[in-house]
Amino acid sequence: MSTQRSRRARRQITGILYVLPFVLVWLTFLVWPVIYGFYISLWRWDPLRGSEFVGLRNYQNLFSDPRFWNATWNTLEFAAISIPLIVGFGLIFAVMLHNSRFRGKAFVEASLFFPYLLNVSIISLIWAWLVDPDYGILIHALRLLGWQEAPAFLNHPLWVIPLIAIATGWWLSGYRMVVFRAALKDIPQSILESADIDGANGWTKLTRIVIPLIKPAILFSIVLSALSAFSVLGQVLVMTEGGPGRSSEVLALYLYRLGFHYFRMGEAAAVGFLLFLLMLVVTILAFRFLGFESEFERKPGGAR
Amino acid sequence: MNSLKKAVLVLAALLLLAGASAQINLNMNTLFHSGDAQAMERIVTAFNEAHTDVQITLTQGQWADYYAQLYNAVVANDAPQIGVVHTTNLPQMAIALTPLNDSPAGDLLDAAGISADQYIADLWDAGEFEGNRYLVPLDTHMFGLWYNRDIFEAAGLDPDSPPTNREEFEAAANAIRDNTDAYAVHMAEDGLARKLARAWYYLYWGQDQELFDAGFTQATFNNDAGLAACEYLTSVVDNSWNIAAGDGFRQFTAGDLGMLVAGNWFYWTATEAGLDYGFAMMPEFFDSAVTWGNSHNLVIPVQPAGTPDEVYIAAAEAIRWINENSDDWGIYGGHIPAYNEARTSQDLLDSDTWQVSLATFAQMAEAGMLHYPITHVDAPELEDVFNVHIEQVYNGSLTCQAALAGAESEANRILNR
Repeated sequence: MSTQRSRRARRQITGILYVLPFVLVWLTFLVWPVIYGFYISLWRWDPLRGSEFVGLRNYQNLFSDPRFWNATWNTLEFAAISIPLIVGFGLIFAVMLHNSRFRGKAFVEASLFFPYLLNVSIISLIWAWLVDPDYGILIHALRLLGWQEAPAFLNHPLWVIPLIAIATGWWLSGYRMVVFRAALKDIPQSILESADIDGANGWTKLTRIVIPLIKPAILFSIVLSALSAFSVLGQVLVMTEGGPGRSSEVLALYLYRLGFHYFRMGEAAAVGFLLFLLMLVVTILAFRFLGFESEFERKPGGAR
Repeated sequence: MNSLKKAVLVLAALLLLAGASAQINLNMNTLFHSGDAQAMERIVTAFNEAHTDVQITLTQGQWADYYAQLYNAVVANDAPQIGVVHTTNLPQMAIALTPLNDSPAGDLLDAAGISADQYIADLWDAGEFEGNRYLVPLDTHMFGLWYNRDIFEAAGLDPDSPPTNREEFEAAANAIRDNTDAYAVHMAEDGLARKLARAWYYLYWGQDQELFDAGFTQATFNNDAGLAACEYLTSVVDNSWNIAAGDGFRQFTAGDLGMLVAGNWFYWTATEAGLDYGFAMMPEFFDSAVTWGNSHNLVIPVQPAGTPDEVYIAAAEAIRWINENSDDWGIYGGHIPAYNEARTSQDLLDSDTWQVSLATFAQMAEAGMLHYPITHVDAPELEDVFNVHIEQVYNGSLTCQAALAGAESEANRILNR
């Protein structure tokens, strides 16, 4: 009995040792910064002139600042457009490639994945050039197609966020496609063949079989896309610097300016903490509505 | 014999160590990039070749986060010994800088032989804050008028007589618009929000007005002069001299723009584009000819307690040496050296940079046309207020009246926070 207990204890210690490096990294680079960030957000933080404890006043200031709400709205708008684009196109590309057989398929797949290899600055510069009102090839094409008054997308308050979201979709959907491709390959062919025998059409197979079976991959893609959407900074900084006006100033850019330009670190930390809470809520909701498990893993009787 | 060898080796090692410890290493961080960074690297390389007792390690290229990094480096007791600060950032950054007249190592100006008479007076005078001197001016830089000589000729204009006032400027713009396929005018470099705000500033200042009252207690720009400046800026689009989202840099270098208001840093870009271009002083748009400008200054950030006096003195002497050799800063960086002897050096006066543009820039500086932007502890936030409002006027989303009223309200909120 005692031998059994000591063996179990040894196994537990081994397990703890296995996860310890990750836990240490996680505590140092995630948990501690979040706690310390929240601590800073309670101060008028100025290490050289002297900091002053202000409690929740930084949060009160933010909630009464129209610029904060404008940045929040812009962030939500960007997320609402970019997440469906990234996940949707990733899924469409994956399904199309999965179901087709043609020469050059690998080339198409590589081409769709290629933008993901590029740095955010490169992506942003490419798209800024594409829609340049003087020399942009996209604008030129739109004019050839008859849209003579095509707007300067990045200088238009209504178009600027959708355009940045489209550029982001182009950048990130290739990686999601690879995730979905891997998930699709895991679906047993026998299930799809059974569906064929039962007379299911392509749409039915997609919605009733394929999507439920790759749910973990979809959840992973949505969570990843949501995190990158809510923390978007690079594209906005390079393409518009938040303009025109503040039409594309997102929360991360507002945070960056508060901290790094205005030296108002306390308020910047408050924005950071609120952004963290927002992402946490979205992630929890995504897990709650989609669940961790695919239909493969669901236990009989619907118990989960 | 063996012990003798060992003794010799130990002695040699000790001598080497002693030699190494005698050498002072200075870290220098700047916000320069592109041509500016190359010019500064050239000067620092020459410094290192000329000195054995002091060596400078140069780090450059960070522009956007530079001030935050400098501030944080001071907080972390890891600041470089030499830095660069714009004159207008002095109120914000003074807390992170060593007062040169009252440093832990004494008066560094005296120790290094740095004095007011060596520099352009206006630039030197701007380097004090609350009774202490923090800045040693390196240069001044400003906007001027670049024009395409071929387009001038095609429009029937004399390329040797660029416009000097509002009437001539408008006549030239109309001629270019009517007689060529080129855009006529861009008033603000690449048209980024902060550049458009600079255009509004120089048009506003040209009416002998200031943005804020003397004590920075309230905004004073929401007036007729502000409105006139705003309407003149938008007339560029209204008169079809350019489009709202135009990038003047790209248009000019592509040979598609007649006149461009841009800074002295545009020299190398314009030259490398292979254009036949000219450069002129900023025209007098309203009551007086004024241009937006600023200055780079060399500074010693706050050093950790216990930093030896020799390090402070070496840094101050290096600052003096860099300025003494800043004719290269003019030739290769395209800036006007603040140090009098460098500005009048024969090498600089003989250079193409001077002949083509710097001589005219220097005339503008000497004529007192340079106007600094906002010099206040909250300058970056106040400037953002102008950036976003002027940009929206320029792209047609706001009227001038609404933009000025909105900017006034936001600026007052910041000032009275």
